[in-house]
Amino acid sequence: MKLEGKAKMLRIHFGEDDKWHGKPLYRAIVEKCRELDIAGATVFRGIEGYGASTLIRKPHHLLSFSHDAPVMVTVVDSEEKVAKLIPQLDAMVADGLIAISEVEVIKYVHQDGQRS
Amino acid sequence: MLSAGPAKKVTIYVGEDHKYHGQSLYSAILDFLFYRGIAGASVVRGIAGFGADHHMHTIRIERLTENLPIRIEFVESAEKVEELMPKLHQMAGTGLIEVQDTLVVKPSEESPKAAVKGAAVALKREGRAKLMRIFIGENDKWHDKPLYQALVEAMRANDVAGVTVYQGILGYGANRRIHKDGALHLSHDRPIMMSVVDDEAKLRSFAKILDEMVQQGLVVLSDVDVIKYTHEVPPAEKEARK
Repeated sequence: MKLEGKAKMLRIHFGEDDKWHGKPLYRAIVEKCRELDIAGATVFRGIEGYGASTLIRKPHHLLSFSHDAPVMVTVVDSEEKVAKLIPQLDAMVADGLIAISEVEVIKYVHQDGQRS
Repeated sequence: MLSAGPAKKVTIYVGEDHKYHGQSLYSAILDFLFYRGIAGASVVRGIAGFGADHHMHTIRIERLTENLPIRIEFVESAEKVEELMPKLHQMAGTGLIEVQDTLVVKPSEESPKAAVKGAAVALKREGRAKLMRIFIGENDKWHDKPLYQALVEAMRANDVAGVTVYQGILGYGANRRIHKDGALHLSHDRPIMMSVVDDEAKLRSFAKILDEMVQQGLVVLSDVDVIKYTHEVPPAEKEARK
């Protein structure tokens, strides 16, 4: 897989409790990215925030089991790949934010050290 | 800062149980006033009262907290009050807002200690810079120490302005291996993202060092606008103090 020069970064913000066909939305998005052969995706859990639903999302207080922490998925790939992913995400993310920005790839290396 | 002379006193009456976007209304209003630079505000809890809904709110032994009346008060200049009013109007919902003319005889003052701290040059630096994001795995090593830690040390040693390490909960990258925070196994290999902001020249020169240290992963650069507050002493002053 090659990835160099100008690329796009997608950031998708939603809640940890959001679901897609019964599974966590963030997992479903990572699986969709793999299916579309996207270069990479990373899920981050925030510690506090608010967003589209305007409810303050706060993860578990020490003892309570109810958490709905803010989650962000970051994806980097070429413009064409990202363009293919967006309609899919559009269908999956019901309540959230998708932002796109331009990035310049300065390094992308595989495990075997093979550089693209 | 509020000065002596004519001013407005605003009083907002709400219920203790009223909510604003899932948060208690009075603390949401107080936060709003605080972050919009109001000189000071107080919240007073009443012991009984009723409002538009003609529902008696009272402290009873058997019902300790029964939506008691809350009064939020602040004194500000007429312009500031006018500026904040539309938002307060929207936030207060069913509550009542009252504005009175008042006269500030003596404005409150910052404690001398706080004033000195404020004077200690809070520099605001603005401008274009680059944001570098480095995606690696938590288990990646460099000379037997975690790579992210080695990178932070290398950045400090090279005077890079600042870096933050984030730990992801799920992801995959260059090597197609899923990094996952498994609940039951202890071997974590979570995704790591490091976010570095500095000027382009600094980051480009650090990229060479980075290139030797990162064996697998992704490094991207993007443009950012920097809006920074710092207590750092400017270099000229630093020289003078020597």
